[in-house]
Amino acid sequence: MRLAVLSPQKQFEFGLWWSRIQIVLLTIMLLIFTLLVIIPFVWMLVMSVRTTGEILNDPYGLPNVIHWDNYWKLMFDPKIAFYKYFVNSGIVTAGALILTLLLSTLGGYGFGRRRYDFKLRGALFALLLFALMLPPQIMYIPQFTMIAEYGLLNTYWSLILLYAATGLPISTYLMATYFSQLPIEMEEAARIDGCGDLRIFWQVMLPLARPAVATVVLINFMHFWNELLLAMTMVTQPDMRTIQVAMMSFVGEHGSDYAIAAASLVTSMLPVLILYLVLSDKFIEGMTAGAVKG
Amino acid sequence: MAIRVDGHAKKNATRANAVSRKPWGAITLFIAPVIIYYAIFTLYPIVATFYYSLHSIVPEGGKLVTYFVGWQNFARLLADDIFLRSVNNTIIWAVVGPILEMVTATTLAFIVYFNVPLHRFYRTAWFAPMLVSGVIVGLVFKWIFNYDWGLLNVGLRAIGLDDLALNWLGRRDTPLWAVIFVHYWATFGYSFVLMIAGLSAIPGELIEAARIDGASTVQASTKVLLPLLMPTFLTVLILSFMGKMRAFHIVWVLTGGGPMHFSETVATYVQKRAFGWSTLDLGYPSAMAVVWFGVVIIGVALINRWLKTRTED
Repeated sequence: MRLAVLSPQKQFEFGLWWSRIQIVLLTIMLLIFTLLVIIPFVWMLVMSVRTTGEILNDPYGLPNVIHWDNYWKLMFDPKIAFYKYFVNSGIVTAGALILTLLLSTLGGYGFGRRRYDFKLRGALFALLLFALMLPPQIMYIPQFTMIAEYGLLNTYWSLILLYAATGLPISTYLMATYFSQLPIEMEEAARIDGCGDLRIFWQVMLPLARPAVATVVLINFMHFWNELLLAMTMVTQPDMRTIQVAMMSFVGEHGSDYAIAAASLVTSMLPVLILYLVLSDKFIEGMTAGAVKG
Repeated sequence: MAIRVDGHAKKNATRANAVSRKPWGAITLFIAPVIIYYAIFTLYPIVATFYYSLHSIVPEGGKLVTYFVGWQNFARLLADDIFLRSVNNTIIWAVVGPILEMVTATTLAFIVYFNVPLHRFYRTAWFAPMLVSGVIVGLVFKWIFNYDWGLLNVGLRAIGLDDLALNWLGRRDTPLWAVIFVHYWATFGYSFVLMIAGLSAIPGELIEAARIDGASTVQASTKVLLPLLMPTFLTVLILSFMGKMRAFHIVWVLTGGGPMHFSETVATYVQKRAFGWSTLDLGYPSAMAVVWFGVVIIGVALINRWLKTRTED
């Protein structure tokens, strides 16, 4: 079933189904509901430019003076220095993304194209997708001992390797689906011109699959950036913390500085949120694709 | 003439040859890396968790030593009050959470499906919490539920409901419900988008036909759309259920399973027993994970069967 998330039925005029008054009432109700949904975001944003004293006195209030310096303090105050956690998260996310992309485009091409079909391919693909329904708890304890054995605890590599493993099934699935829909003519034309398999993949088919690559990058970026369980398990050294663990620890350690804490939430959320506001369709498509299959 | 026939035959032969000969080199090159990687970092750890669950793995002299203990870990689980409570909590959540979510998602999907104005805006806004990390969601709601200055209590006091301004995260009865609510806030948009996708896949002619036959909106929705929506409904329900069974981030940050394990879930308890407490033994939490793995699989199978038989009736 192909998702049609992005094209709600256009053939009905809503006027046919609801009367004008019903539409107005519905809209008011939905807007109130939406307001309730987004209040936490708004509040977070307002909190981040107030002082902690103001917040504690009147949580609903607006800032008298907009304290942009909260953000400066968050990033560069030597006692807080959040920029280094951004660097950590950036390195881990980028590394895991590169690894995931490398493996999943190759694998997606192998699983998606007819030419590479063989007897056990379907079974292998099913095995790969099996991981989509597993809770992380069923594998992360041995993952920990494995990482410890190789001496990778408290390194970027621990998270890069394990994040790539979590992102692999859905990414390969997305790539395979996309590759399987590309026409065979391009592939054959390149083969007649004497291109080998790898070259056809790299120079002809992969460029055609750019939209799928973009989806894979987006959803994995979000998951890797937001991950907590592995991040707090594999990395215990304070300097190596990712942004998520850093935020959690900050509230534990500097418990009462709520304004700075709110600023940390806002900054850590920005990369994903900006991408989402620009490319919301791609996000939604990518995150729902794994759900409705077959 | 003869040359042409010859050439034709030759071409056919090479083509047949090319078809029958599998490009094994290329197959290996494309598929092997994923499968090997997956085997090392996902399959092996799953198998190892089962192996661990029958052992006691404790640190001795700076490294982990493994002792075989058989079914002891599982026997201990049955007598572990905290584990039983966390199972109980997680099951309450896995029943209540999906019901809440399905009701909201289905209702909203039906409303938005009939092209209410601003539907794209709603979709973007409702889906947004799904993209925010569990740490952020947990912290913000921890502040919202704060007894002294949280939005909720200050709001309640402002409208004179001082009695309702509870210590939401510090009592024995409310923390679990706070967790359920916050997770619901974060994920209902996902279910909603899936339901809308399912609805949009239903051909429009069916509804047009119902209209022409004089069906009302409600009739068309319940009699025509709802039955056709059952497969999507099943998928979304299962996903929602699995989401609650594995949820960790939000609980960990919002309540940490506390106070006194009143909002403990299996995911947080596994984490505590494996890495949190000083009682380091990786075998015991592995046994929990194995039990939980079984529960998830059985749960999914049950929902599947229950709804399948209902749709076939």
